[in-house]
Amino acid sequence: MGQHFAGIDIGSRTIELVIVDKAGTIIENFQRDTGYNPMSEVDSLLSQVSYDAIMATGYGRNLFELSIEARTVTEIKAHARGAMATFPGVRTVLDIGGQDSKVISLSETGRVSRFEMNDRCAAGTGKFLEIMAKSLGYRIEDFGNEALAAKKDITISSMCTVFAESEVTSLIGRGEDCREIALGLHDSVVRRVSGMIRRVSATDAGELVFTGGVARNPCIRMLLERTLDREIQVAEDPQLIGAYGAALLALESALQ
Amino acid sequence: MEEMIPLFEDEYAGQPAPKRVLAYMQKKQENDQPIVGTYCAYAPIEIMQAMGLTPAILCAFAKATIASAETVLPANLCPLIKSSYGFIQEGSCPFFSMAGAVVAETTCDGKKKMFELAAEVKPLHVMDLPQLPDEVEAKENWTRMIRKLQGFLEETFNRTATDLQIEESIKKSNKRNQLMRKIFDYAAIHPPVINWQEMFDISFMALPYDVDDAVPVLEGIIERLERRVAEGVHYGSQNSPRVLVTGSPVGGDALKIYKIIEQCGGVVVTPDCCTGLKLFAKDFEEDMADPAEALAKRYLQIPCSCMTPNEGRLEALSEMIEHFKPDAVIDFVLTACHSYNVESYKVGQYISEKHDMPFLKIETDYSDNDEGQIRTKVQALFEIID
Repeated sequence: MGQHFAGIDIGSRTIELVIVDKAGTIIENFQRDTGYNPMSEVDSLLSQVSYDAIMATGYGRNLFELSIEARTVTEIKAHARGAMATFPGVRTVLDIGGQDSKVISLSETGRVSRFEMNDRCAAGTGKFLEIMAKSLGYRIEDFGNEALAAKKDITISSMCTVFAESEVTSLIGRGEDCREIALGLHDSVVRRVSGMIRRVSATDAGELVFTGGVARNPCIRMLLERTLDREIQVAEDPQLIGAYGAALLALESALQ
Repeated sequence: MEEMIPLFEDEYAGQPAPKRVLAYMQKKQENDQPIVGTYCAYAPIEIMQAMGLTPAILCAFAKATIASAETVLPANLCPLIKSSYGFIQEGSCPFFSMAGAVVAETTCDGKKKMFELAAEVKPLHVMDLPQLPDEVEAKENWTRMIRKLQGFLEETFNRTATDLQIEESIKKSNKRNQLMRKIFDYAAIHPPVINWQEMFDISFMALPYDVDDAVPVLEGIIERLERRVAEGVHYGSQNSPRVLVTGSPVGGDALKIYKIIEQCGGVVVTPDCCTGLKLFAKDFEEDMADPAEALAKRYLQIPCSCMTPNEGRLEALSEMIEHFKPDAVIDFVLTACHSYNVESYKVGQYISEKHDMPFLKIETDYSDNDEGQIRTKVQALFEIID
């Protein structure tokens, strides 16, 4: 059996690569933009590391499977595994990435028991927040903190990106404060995903772990906790959870 | 794996199912057996067959005709209705062109209103379908509607049907249903000896065919299936996830759901929809005083989501799970098919609580732009089964 196991998460916006040792401890991790040619990004990432087995996940996993001999796993199983390793008490995972949002319900042993994933439209995902930040003139990194500084709530009722953009334009035209509009936009995402959470995880048992790039947004986290009246766990690097889970699955399948 | 014996021994083997049926319809029409178009499982074809008419299932499953339909119909309507109407507008459904009249039912609001538009193109008879099937009046009303349809067809085609002929038609349908159930039973074998494409093609043929013509074909299919059993050939492997697909009608471009399941390594062991097992699942009561009442009774047992309450669907699901032993249930919902979409919650609860079985709802239309997402969902479902 080898020493190093890789997990690669080829997402719509970013690619993450995590290398674990045979104890499952992360020894290296990388992240870069997916860009327009994901395979060349993947190739250049992989040329920097060495590993004995690799598992791919993310929307680009099938592309990967075609060009490199590798096993693949869905984002759902990968995030569940990664979240379980980070927070052993987890029973529900919320993953909001670039194009997809998912809620995964886990059994006590960490097996996926149910899941829900958005249908085709990227409403309520990272992409939505990115476009909205841009329409208000914020950098995506600052968007959450700016929204947190708002003094009052504005309700944004459109979930569709283009409709929401029109709504934002008319609010700006009415002279509303940009930070308050930003808060309203964050709230609309939270309303959508909290509905998904309530559908998939009926019980409050166990911990709720938030993964994926959007988990780095402090305003989404705060609003989710307030809306669900529940504490939320977020890993230090929540966007790495999928790749981490894939790396652990690569390790485990080598053990079998 | 050994070579699969094709189930049809005709020149249409391996071709899309409508080709075979179209050639058959043309022959029927030439032999003075006029064509009646139908859209839905509730159309009592026994009445048509009793008077020497040939029912034809009209086109409804292609994304190609949706754009032209949307010049008239709202875009946020169910793809099946839009596709059906697009075919009418474009004049591209050969079955519709051949049909002397169309029989329609009030199953859902979208269809009901679309029929008003279609009626301008072709003689169209709408049957008022009772949607509370458990009420005592339901059977009586539907019997009356069946008799009214008979009157419409007699007048339109200048033909008659005696009760004796209707009874004969009923007995023939029962014979066909028994053979169809026998064929679907080959999917209950582990691993299955028949696949989704074959079940779809056979259902597509069996329903509109004269039973006298269908029986020898079906018997030939059973013979060849028996040969497969003897030779030990089958689809998938012992470990392939077995899937029961329930929900909205599946055909044409919507067949992507079956294809994706297969590509992900699964086998469809029960297509539980109006283009699958649903129509053949139960028999008509024979020798009732009024054969139209026997028809009404059976047709009202179809567990369509347009009915309320629709407890029959849950009972049928339990029976199918018992018989076909699936590992997971996928509820296939066409976008904007509100009744199946709302009912999905109940079905999901029932499958997880009563059968402790993984359940997945897939809401989609005829386009292929969400195949990646559907594939991820199906793969994740199969990972749960592992």
